[in-house]
Amino acid sequence: MQHRLKVAAGITTLALAAPALAGTAVAQQQDYPPPSNPGSVQKKPKGPFKTLEVSKKGKFRTIQAAVNAAKPGDTVKIADGVYKESVQVAGAKHRFIKLVGNVKQPHKVVLEGENKRQNGITVNGADAVTMRGIKARRYKANGFFAVNVTGYAMDRLIAELPGTYGLYAFNAKGGSMTNSLSYYAADGSYYVGQTPEQTRPVQTIIRNVVGWGSVVGYTGTNSRYVTITKSKFFNNALGLAPNSLDSEKFPPDEQNVFRDNDIYWNNFDVYQKAPYKPNVNEDFIYPPGVGAILLSGRDNRFEGNRIYGNWLGGFIGVPNVFLKNPADQPLDRNIVSGNTFNKGGADMNGRDMVYNGSGTGNCFGGNTGVMTTVPAAPEVYPACPNTAKNVENGEPIGLMLSWAVQKQYRAGWIQHPHAAQAGMEPLVDWAEGKSYGPTTLK
Amino acid sequence: MKRGIDRRGFLGIGAGAAFVCTIGGKQVVLSEPGDAAKADAAARNVKRPKALAAQAGTGMPAGAPAVASQQFPTPTPAPGGRVREHWIQAVTTDWDIVPKRKDEWHGEKVAGPTKFKAFVYQEMTSGWASPLAPARIPGPVLRAEVGDLLVVHFRNADEELEQAVTMHPHGVRYNPDYDGSFLGDFTRAGGFVGPGESFTYRWEATPDSVGVWPYHDHGPNHTLNTFRGLFGGLIVYPKGAKAPDLERLLFLHVMQPPVTGLKRSFQCINGKAFAGNTPTIQAKVGQDVAIHVMGMDNEFHDFHIHGHRWKDPSGHFVDTPTVGPNETITARFTEDNPGRWLYHCHVFSHQDAGMSGWYDVTP
Repeated sequence: MQHRLKVAAGITTLALAAPALAGTAVAQQQDYPPPSNPGSVQKKPKGPFKTLEVSKKGKFRTIQAAVNAAKPGDTVKIADGVYKESVQVAGAKHRFIKLVGNVKQPHKVVLEGENKRQNGITVNGADAVTMRGIKARRYKANGFFAVNVTGYAMDRLIAELPGTYGLYAFNAKGGSMTNSLSYYAADGSYYVGQTPEQTRPVQTIIRNVVGWGSVVGYTGTNSRYVTITKSKFFNNALGLAPNSLDSEKFPPDEQNVFRDNDIYWNNFDVYQKAPYKPNVNEDFIYPPGVGAILLSGRDNRFEGNRIYGNWLGGFIGVPNVFLKNPADQPLDRNIVSGNTFNKGGADMNGRDMVYNGSGTGNCFGGNTGVMTTVPAAPEVYPACPNTAKNVENGEPIGLMLSWAVQKQYRAGWIQHPHAAQAGMEPLVDWAEGKSYGPTTLK
Repeated sequence: MKRGIDRRGFLGIGAGAAFVCTIGGKQVVLSEPGDAAKADAAARNVKRPKALAAQAGTGMPAGAPAVASQQFPTPTPAPGGRVREHWIQAVTTDWDIVPKRKDEWHGEKVAGPTKFKAFVYQEMTSGWASPLAPARIPGPVLRAEVGDLLVVHFRNADEELEQAVTMHPHGVRYNPDYDGSFLGDFTRAGGFVGPGESFTYRWEATPDSVGVWPYHDHGPNHTLNTFRGLFGGLIVYPKGAKAPDLERLLFLHVMQPPVTGLKRSFQCINGKAFAGNTPTIQAKVGQDVAIHVMGMDNEFHDFHIHGHRWKDPSGHFVDTPTVGPNETITARFTEDNPGRWLYHCHVFSHQDAGMSGWYDVTP
């Protein structure tokens, strides 16, 4: 009985810990447009298309002025420089617009938030807008934000020190985030959430992006149909955190694919010292030291990733038992397969996999280099395919309780030396002047 | 200097014929190079069927017969069967019909343009994260045993043609949700996969599925899209059966000027024309060889392999059986005759316009 109580208490804390991250978005929601159904893609414009040039000496001095003058499908070409504005691209009359800065050197076209503007670029209800070759710096909320849209393209973007998310899509059907960099996000470097359920889903593709120095590299609440591949998430508190919450519509998160990514060195103790104030509830935290955590969700796949040097755990799977719909709570049919742990023993996770056996049909097949699991019981980690109910075990929940609520995550760290990587240092306790990750795109 | 047309070019032109596509109720005649654009324009304008509001056949038009609104359970593998999962996308790709610019059978150059924009099925990793194979004609071979469930995650990833496509299989069992066919107002969710959209088909390999079958686009523009490459094959084996030592799928089909925009027709095998460009099949004496041949155009073809005979389904020996549109014949034999052999369609105008290839047997 005591054991059961402990399990329940641990789950409670997890259920509460996750909204800590979402909480900032809620706190600022008066600044956000209300969600609406993105519906079918808006009609593709036929042209002829114009290019509107933005520069300090040109016809358009601000990006917003050019956007306001642009017709659907037009290109807004932004010259190198610093633009102190918060750009709104709203409504079908601005669909298919392309905002293009310096594609080769995005850091030369800077949107400056000065820690007082909300979002760098907000695309609301305008489908298939492209943002390319732009850097957004020090916005209170988000760098690049697409909401209530069917399709968007974020490519060759840099987000530095966003108050919440770097590249952010909410209530969107499909879209892409590619070849981009986001760092020092006070919440997530990348976020895709509240994806409407679709009969013929439009996939969101996140490819070749880098997220470092943030509370979470990628986080998505109730996200679905997202593929994240060929990307790097390192030197965050947590690398990946797909999750399911009632604070947003459409739980749980499902049908996401995390494939062929590098998830390492996620031990940044943002609660000790960071170049920003992390967005967390004071009582509950996301514990530093986690490669990937799946908080409820079904039909997600973690495949072919390289997971190493995360001192609490490489992969963690736990349920959010406080989701209103009990059917949404368990982890069901998730696949953790073909991943490589511990970099051949050169750069070890504290624990490779931590899973409490929630749900049915979850499987763990063909992973290489796995040295430690919690619990150590192999029956909790059945091979793929698996259609049976998983075998529950309370041990992981006890650990999560101490890490996330009692904030004893540092005590939970099993520290191993890291294998050196050129040009950057492992980030645990942040200090000025060190190179923890790239700040420009090659 | 303007070159005259040679014998094979003449045959190629002769084999190129006009055809009519019915696209969203509109008839489009394709008779000239570039006419594919007319069909694509018509396909772009096909309205999304209203009944697509839900997969389960709801939202059918007023007065629709009850049979159109039936709902069906989601298929699962039979006991002992397994799920065979594929991630496939439809994409356009630059395709060269005669990459070697040479007909190795006759040792002659093939002059003139041979490249066009093909539309193909491409095998991807999970989540359509990365290609597992190049975008090519034909699409990937899907394999299953009786009792298995083929789960095909299909994505319309093309950004150029802006039209709905599907995957429609032959041979396997499926309910109407997984038919992959555009049926106007009676279309179900898998019959209209728009640009950027995806759909997961679930096809059952039942005992009467044993054999080799095609799959192809059956969306609003299916004829043109199939002609330009949206097809592939699937094989269902009896449970526990030993696969042949060497198994190849050959699709016989014409690439006509209205489809390719090129000046002449090419009689193709797997999207290529002329020996050396078409698949060169390599076998060894003693191997159990199975060559499955399917027709994928409006013509009938006669499939011939030099130096070999095999039994047709009635038990008679053949060496030039006929294969019609979307039909399959299989040449299965134990290899016993080493050498470089030719295989080709024995319709003479087809063989001389490219429908030939090498069959190399080593001792």
